[in-house]
Amino acid sequence: MTNKKTISLVFGIMCFALTVGICIQAKTVKKSSLVVSQNYEENNLRAEVLKYKERYDNLLKETERIENELQLEIEKATSNNSELEEAKNQINDGNKIIGLTEVSGSGVVIRVEDSDIDLVHDIDILKIVNELKNAGAEAISINEQRIILTTPIICGGNIITINGEKIGSPFEIKAIGLPETLANLSRPGGVLNNLEDERKIKVSIKKSNDITIPKYSGVLNFKYLSSTN
Amino acid sequence: MKKGKITVIITIAIACFALATVMCMQFKIVKETDITSIETMREEELRTELANWKQMYKEAEEQYKEKESRLKEYKEKQQSSEETSKLIEKELGQTNMYLGKTNVQGPGIQIKIEDTNSDEIKPISAEDLLVIVDYLKLAGAEAISINEKRIINMSDIVYINNSIIYVNQERILSPYVIKAIGDPTNLESTLLGNGGYIELLRNIGFEADIEKDNKIAIPKYNKDIGYKYIK
Repeated sequence: MTNKKTISLVFGIMCFALTVGICIQAKTVKKSSLVVSQNYEENNLRAEVLKYKERYDNLLKETERIENELQLEIEKATSNNSELEEAKNQINDGNKIIGLTEVSGSGVVIRVEDSDIDLVHDIDILKIVNELKNAGAEAISINEQRIILTTPIICGGNIITINGEKIGSPFEIKAIGLPETLANLSRPGGVLNNLEDERKIKVSIKKSNDITIPKYSGVLNFKYLSSTN
Repeated sequence: MKKGKITVIITIAIACFALATVMCMQFKIVKETDITSIETMREEELRTELANWKQMYKEAEEQYKEKESRLKEYKEKQQSSEETSKLIEKELGQTNMYLGKTNVQGPGIQIKIEDTNSDEIKPISAEDLLVIVDYLKLAGAEAISINEKRIINMSDIVYINNSIIYVNQERILSPYVIKAIGDPTNLESTLLGNGGYIELLRNIGFEADIEKDNKIAIPKYNKDIGYKYIK
């Protein structure tokens, strides 16, 4: 008799657990199917976006392959001609400054991060980059995206879009230049100090002798301007 | 009695298995609804995002074609050293153009902003100019100058002693004339309209004009462009 009772009890508990499980399951499925059917259009758009992103990435890879071939041709064309060699060196130097080749050197790494009290905004990053340039930075990257002449930093809010990639806090800004001058950004009253003291943003800056900044990976192709001299 | 026990055990085992399966499915669904940025976007944002990527793809395609045709040129002219040296010169010319070492010309806009005589309105700050320049970059500006000072990759716009604006370490004064080369309509619309920065300045009380022009001329950077620290 007690045995039967135990069995019944076990069954009861099992059934209850199972029912609860199934109920949760059914509810979740119902909810998610509702979302799916409602957002059919959105899903289509999502797929489109991903498709274009992939095509863009592939095209950039192709472009890089062609660029390498082009460099080889230039190398070949200039190898036996001292005058052209000079021009080639100027082109290579120029590409370093423009941001078309990876560079390394001494400098600083700045990290700014949202705190519980306030968020880092695009304008804050813009100001930091501007200050770095003022301190003589020769190459700058934000979260491994090289900042070149045409890179906008403002785009509204606390997410930055660089080269199509969305970048959010924490931001890591690398700059190559004289470390002592660049580190001066943390002086009292300076942009970093203000972020830290007045807005309680998490800020750190450290000097380094070994900073590598990647080359720009997006498109640089002017369509509207032409040189006049 | 023994038979009954076995049945019970089997039943419980099946029940447990079913339960476990249901729970696994449950977890999987919850995991799948975990979000990445694109997953959380709404229809409107997605449309903007798609338009952005389409535009970026188009630009990448143009760049690809340009490089492809250049490569073809090199291959065709491989034999003649005179022709290749012309190509290298062209290459150098382009590098100098990207650097800002050449005077340039093209369609674009010219913005003129003047400080007011009012004591209540603070004068235009370096930050105002910095933000305007950044918006112009966002709208695809290919060359920008402020009071004929060319903005290059390393240009800074700073306020010294909270009163004087320096661009490229040179002092500039009101009225500020900002020129930009690019698609005139894009350049203009990024600064006008709801939330546009020029619109904001106008609302504060500044005189600010934007003019579209098919022939904006922007001078070259007037100092040496070099580097000491990058390798």
